[in-house]
Amino acid sequence: MTGDILYRLRGPAAGSGAGAHRSRDTGGIGVFRDHVPFWRHPDARRIDLRATLRDPFEGTVVRRFEQSRALEVWALVDLSASMRFRGAGATWDLVTELCIALARSATRIGDAFGLIGCGAGPELVLPASRRRGTADAVAARLRAMAPGGASADGLLAAATSLAGRRKLVVVVSDFRLPEALTGAVFERLQGHDVVPVAIEDGALGEGLPAFGLIELEDLEGGGRRRVLMRPSLRARWLAREAERRDFLRRLALRHGRPPYRLADRFDGDDFSRHLLGTAA
Amino acid sequence: MTVLARFGVTAPAWLWLLPLALLPLAASAQRRVPIPSLAMVPADGLSRLVDAVLTLAGMAGIGFLVIALSGPHLAGESLARTGEGAQISLLVDRSGSMNETFAGRQPSGAEESKAAASRRILDGFVGRRAHDLVAVSAFSTSPMAVLPMTDRHDAVRAAIRAIDRPGLEATNVARGLGLALAQFGTGAPQASRVLLLVSDGAAVIDRRVQPTLREDFAKIRPTLYWLFLRTAGSPGLADRPAGEDTPQAAPERHLDLFFKSLGVPYRAFEAESAQAVEAAIREIDRQERKPISYAERRPQRDLTGLAYGLAALAMGLLLAGTLIETDLATRRPASRPAASRETRRAA
Repeated sequence: MTGDILYRLRGPAAGSGAGAHRSRDTGGIGVFRDHVPFWRHPDARRIDLRATLRDPFEGTVVRRFEQSRALEVWALVDLSASMRFRGAGATWDLVTELCIALARSATRIGDAFGLIGCGAGPELVLPASRRRGTADAVAARLRAMAPGGASADGLLAAATSLAGRRKLVVVVSDFRLPEALTGAVFERLQGHDVVPVAIEDGALGEGLPAFGLIELEDLEGGGRRRVLMRPSLRARWLAREAERRDFLRRLALRHGRPPYRLADRFDGDDFSRHLLGTAA
Repeated sequence: MTVLARFGVTAPAWLWLLPLALLPLAASAQRRVPIPSLAMVPADGLSRLVDAVLTLAGMAGIGFLVIALSGPHLAGESLARTGEGAQISLLVDRSGSMNETFAGRQPSGAEESKAAASRRILDGFVGRRAHDLVAVSAFSTSPMAVLPMTDRHDAVRAAIRAIDRPGLEATNVARGLGLALAQFGTGAPQASRVLLLVSDGAAVIDRRVQPTLREDFAKIRPTLYWLFLRTAGSPGLADRPAGEDTPQAAPERHLDLFFKSLGVPYRAFEAESAQAVEAAIREIDRQERKPISYAERRPQRDLTGLAYGLAALAMGLLLAGTLIETDLATRRPASRPAASRETRRAA
C-alpha cells in the first residue's frame, strides 16, 4: 500500500467548504494572513492589541486569518485501447494504482475526488465525492474496466464538463494522441491546475531490442507492421520518442506544470515530490 | 511451343489448395507484439522490404509446396530443326572373316582385326557431325537390325562398339542390303542419304532378289559407299578370275558390277589397311554434307524437385526470419501473481 500523495494547488484554492488547502478567503481560524483596519474587518474578537498600540495613526488593527478550503481533485483518464499496453509495466494497472492512491489521499484530507474515463466519449464518470469509500469505488470501477476506445476524443468533452471552481485535474494518458487534441484539452482546462501524467514504458524506451525482427500490432486497430530492429532504427525511434516527450513538455509548461512521467512502476512519494515541486 | 504451354501437372486436384498461398497476406506466423501506437515507429524502408520478402516467401513456400504435390513437369516435345548432315545407314559385315586381320590371320599382339579397325574408324566418323542420323545394321547369314535411324550418337557409338564381337558364319549381303535400305524410312526425302556397306567379302546376290533390291534403290536413291576391307592376297574388285567369270567365282567383282548397274551414286573403296579405311571414311565425310531437317526430341522434364527446392528456399527465408525474431522487454502477464494470491488465500 502506497503512502498518501501530498499535493498542493498551484495558486489559491477556491473550494466550497473548509478543507486543507490555502485559499484567498479569510476566515475564522487558520494561518495568519495580514492586518487590516477594524473598519474593513469589524471583528472585535480578532483585534490585535499589540499592533493597535504600535499603529502610528492610532487606528484599530484586526488580524485576518486564511480560510483553508477543500478542493476537488479530478482524474481525467484516457480509455483508448493503447492504455491496455503491457510492457515492462502494465499501463492500466499503473493507472488504477495512481487513481486509487489519489482518491484515498484526497478523501483523507477532506477533498473530493472525481474521475472521468474517456474513450471516444466520456465512458466512465465517477462524480466528485468526499466519501471515505470513494477509493474503493474507484478501485472497483477501474479494475472492472478494460480500456478499448478507438480514440480519446472524449477527453475534450470531459475537460469542458469540468467548469467552475479551480480544481486539481490530473490528466492520465500515454499522450499518444493527436497533437491538436492534446493542445485542445489543455486549452479547455485553462482555469484549473492541470497535472499531466504521461504513462510510458521502459520496454518502448531504453528496453527496445537492438536487433531482431519484430511484428508490431497497433492496439488501436492501426494494423500491423513487421520491423527489422537494428541499432540505427532504435536510435531513430528513441529520438522520435524524445521529440514527442519534449513537445508534450513544452505544451504542458505553457499551461502550468510539466508532465509527470509514470513508467513501469508507480511510486507515490515520487509523485508527491513532483506535485509539491511543481506547485509553486 | 512456349515453356508455359508445355507446363503441366500430374495431379491437378492438388491445385485446389493453391489459394492457401494467400494466407500469408492475411496472417503471419510470427508473434504479434502489441504496442500503443504504430505512429511511434519510425518509417523504415528496409523493414518494409524485409516484410515484403517474408510475405512473399510465405506465399511462395505454400504455393510451391502445393505445386510440388501436384507433380509439375514440362511436357516432352519434338522440334523440327535443320542442320548439316546426312541420313547414314551403316551396314556392317559380321561374318567370321571380319575377325581376321588384313593379313588374313587371327589377330595377335598389336595387330587389330578388320572388325576392330572398322569399329575404331566408324566410331570417329559418327561423332564428327552432330546432326547426322545414323542407323546401324549388321549381317552375316541373316541381317540384324541393330539400331534404327537416330540422332543419339551415344547409342550409335555403342552399337558400333559392339560390331567387333566375334562374327559368325557366312555372308548374305542381299538381305543385309534390304534391311539397310529399310532403315531409311519415309521421312526427310530431301536429305542426303548414305548407305555405307562395310564388308570384307561378298556373296552372290540371288537373281531372284536382284529386282527387288533394284526397286528399293531406285525408290530411296541413297549414295552407296562400299568399304571393301580387302584381305591381302584376295582378289580385288577389278580382278577378273582366271577361270570362268561367274558370280560364284568372283563374287566381289560381280557385286561391284551389280552396284554399278543400280543407277545410284556409287563408290567403292578398296582398303587393304586400317589407314586406307580411314582415308575412305574421310572421303565420305567430306562428300556427304547437305542440309538435313531432323526432329529433336526433348523428353518430359520433371519439375517436382525444383518446386520442392524453391519451397525449401522460401521456408529457409522464413526460418531465418523466425530465428532473428525478437520481443519487447515485457514482463510476463500479471495473471501469475493473481493466481498466487488466490492460492495464498486458499492456503
